Amino acid sequence: MTRVSEQSSFHAINHAVGKTKSRLEDLQLKGSNLKRVQKPSDDPIGNTELLSIRSQDVDNEQYGRNISFAKAQLAFTENAVEELTNILSKAKELAIGQSSNFYDADIRKSVAKEVEQLKKQMISIGNRRMGNKYIFAGYKNLTKPFDENGKFLGDEKTTSIEVSKDFFVPISFSGKEVFFPDGETTLADRAPKLPPTPTIDGEEVKEQEFEVNRSLASESEPKPNNAQRNIIQHVQALEDALNTNNPEIIQGLLPVLDKDMDKLVQIRTTIGSTINSIDNAFENIEKTKLLNAEYKSKIEDADVAELFTDLTRQQSTLEATYKASAQLMNKSLMDFMR
Amino acid sequence: MGSDLFSIGHSALSTSKKSMATTSHNIANANNENYSRQRVTTESGTPISEGDYVVGSGVNIRSIKRTHDALAEKKLNSSISNHEFNKERTDQLTQVEEIFNEINSEGMNKILNRFFNAFRELANQPENEVVRTMVRDNADLVVKDFHRINESITRVKEGIDTKLSRSIEDINQSAEKIAYLNKEIIRLENAGGETGDLRDQRDEATRLLSEYFSVNTYEDEKGQYVVNIANTGSLVAGGAVNRLKAGKVMGSEGKGRDSEGKVDIYFEAQTNLSISDNLKKGKLSALIKTRNEDVEFLRGELDELAHGLAKATNAVHRRGFANKDLPTDQNGNPINDGSAGKVTGINFFKEPLGKDRAAEYIQLSDDIKEDLNNISTALAPNAPGDNRIAIAISKLQHEKVLGKGDTTLEEGYLKAVGKIGLTTAKSKIDTEQTAGILAQAKSIKQRISGVSLDEETANLVKYQHSYDASARVIKAADEMFDSVLGMMR
Repeated sequence: MTRVSEQSSFHAINHAVGKTKSRLEDLQLKGSNLKRVQKPSDDPIGNTELLSIRSQDVDNEQYGRNISFAKAQLAFTENAVEELTNILSKAKELAIGQSSNFYDADIRKSVAKEVEQLKKQMISIGNRRMGNKYIFAGYKNLTKPFDENGKFLGDEKTTSIEVSKDFFVPISFSGKEVFFPDGETTLADRAPKLPPTPTIDGEEVKEQEFEVNRSLASESEPKPNNAQRNIIQHVQALEDALNTNNPEIIQGLLPVLDKDMDKLVQIRTTIGSTINSIDNAFENIEKTKLLNAEYKSKIEDADVAELFTDLTRQQSTLEATYKASAQLMNKSLMDFMR
Repeated sequence: MGSDLFSIGHSALSTSKKSMATTSHNIANANNENYSRQRVTTESGTPISEGDYVVGSGVNIRSIKRTHDALAEKKLNSSISNHEFNKERTDQLTQVEEIFNEINSEGMNKILNRFFNAFRELANQPENEVVRTMVRDNADLVVKDFHRINESITRVKEGIDTKLSRSIEDINQSAEKIAYLNKEIIRLENAGGETGDLRDQRDEATRLLSEYFSVNTYEDEKGQYVVNIANTGSLVAGGAVNRLKAGKVMGSEGKGRDSEGKVDIYFEAQTNLSISDNLKKGKLSALIKTRNEDVEFLRGELDELAHGLAKATNAVHRRGFANKDLPTDQNGNPINDGSAGKVTGINFFKEPLGKDRAAEYIQLSDDIKEDLNNISTALAPNAPGDNRIAIAISKLQHEKVLGKGDTTLEEGYLKAVGKIGLTTAKSKIDTEQTAGILAQAKSIKQRISGVSLDEETANLVKYQHSYDASARVIKAADEMFDSVLGMMR
């Protein structure tokens, strides 16, 4: 026979009630916000996974913002290039009309006035701003890239931004590229690139290595283009030829203007394909978001059915403990000795 | 003949009375957790020979003893030590864990993440002043969070030190009490007195000590009760106490950061020898382990993180050029004539001196604090639209810059959080387990030594009956006397 004393039964009841109650409390807390993980120790591995998924989500949000930004800037640029194409085709029309000997110097002079207007429009497009930055100025985007003679003052640099992890797209087009038909930029050059992984040894970046290995995403080598003339200057030449009444020069300009048009069309195609790849990136981000949400819920959300079954079960356990304890505690030999 | 009856009746009467008193004492202490029930043991009186016969002479009380099992008591003590260790450790770790809990709030991981995304935003618009402000604000949040965590960790550490110092007072008091009781028990026993209640008190004091560390108790060959701190030395031997002290151990200064303000435990008589690391189980070793291992580990990881972040960001940032116009020569090449102030080689964070205390010392550099334009985004001068440095800094997020170049900042941080979560979870499970074992040990002890009211009620009735019967014996003797006296009339 096991001896039972007041204290031993008190302890037994206390322990049983305490244990059930603390489990119940835990379940109730989980039930109150339906989260399975309340603190790191609830699920140490899950917790760290949760945090890293959250980081990914925040990153993706930023990529989403980057995408909107990139698309806005590209659309703005495309718009400008389209206007440029229209103006150029108007100039070409005039040039074709004036390339024969049919017109005399006076008429050519008045056409020259019209061409001058076209030229001015082109310069203004070249100096177009989005916000406070000149879109065709390369990195020197706070200064006007074209002077009143159509001379290009900017640089040939292109800005790239990250639109999804490690996926960079160029979002700006330098005037050097758009306005100089002889520029060597081709579609292939502008394909979105992965940046080379920068190497840092934790202590100090090796400056040399940095220079060599770390040609950053958007860096492109300057090309010697001194002799090149740009579209605006071609139109200027047309204006000059009209003023001097020189149909041979005008005729000579026709293939040049054709080439200019080709270049602009090529630029627009490039913009279109860039926007396409951005859209793809966006779709991927959305997909990841969905997957992450699902995974996150798996880790942190309580299984409602299971939770409430557990809750009910613990409640009945507690009730049973109470009942049993009441039976035990209220009986005494004294009761039977009156 | 009649006088025999009287004396037998009297012995029975007084034994029953004493038994009832003991039963009452038991009932009175039924709810006293530290009480061991007492029993009156009796023996029959020395027989007297009357002529050819040997006749009994009633009953004598041999002793009043407490019911006690030394083994159960030892088991209980060690369960207490085990459980208190886990409980205290869980308490401390839960505090530490809370510092890194960002499930329902913002934490370092999110803030670091936003820091890098601010640079991504800056890469979109390197020429935008507002975005620069945002970058600086986010960087400031990172700095503040490093400081917050560092301070919280320091507070936990200080809390542990305070707790250690306070515990020592408790321990010394209990030790003094045991020494006093040792003396009293020996004195009373020499005088033939009962010592059950004093022994209960001494056991209680020993249990109190078990909460702090694992104890060994025994009675030496001279009958002295000795309390040893397991693995260390004797705390109480008979009436002598070897007092403990908390504080700095002599000769520990100048051992670098580890010993700074660190509270150690030593014997008052041996001020140069710390026993902190020898303690086993109990609250004290839980506190010391948490402070010396878990908190130090976190601090180290945090320093590494702050150091890595500052170093890597600076290394890239220094390569950049600030958002300032430089004058150019006739070919358009920029000349750095110093008129624009610093344009390149600017640190973003204050360059850390070393990993030690990096989290405490991390700060934005003065250049960045003073002028937003010093946030360098460009890899070339005079290029406000150049975002290559901003991109490179944002890419540091996924770069393995910690340790031997094998861990990203986020991985490093999550590793630390994961470890503390795992340790806490394990400690919680251990606590639940030892709580069960402790309840069992308590229950075993109480089953042996605890008072059962039912039992005492039955005893009370029993002794009452025997009292009644003894009284009858005396009355019978009285009547016998009367009869004899009546014959004389």
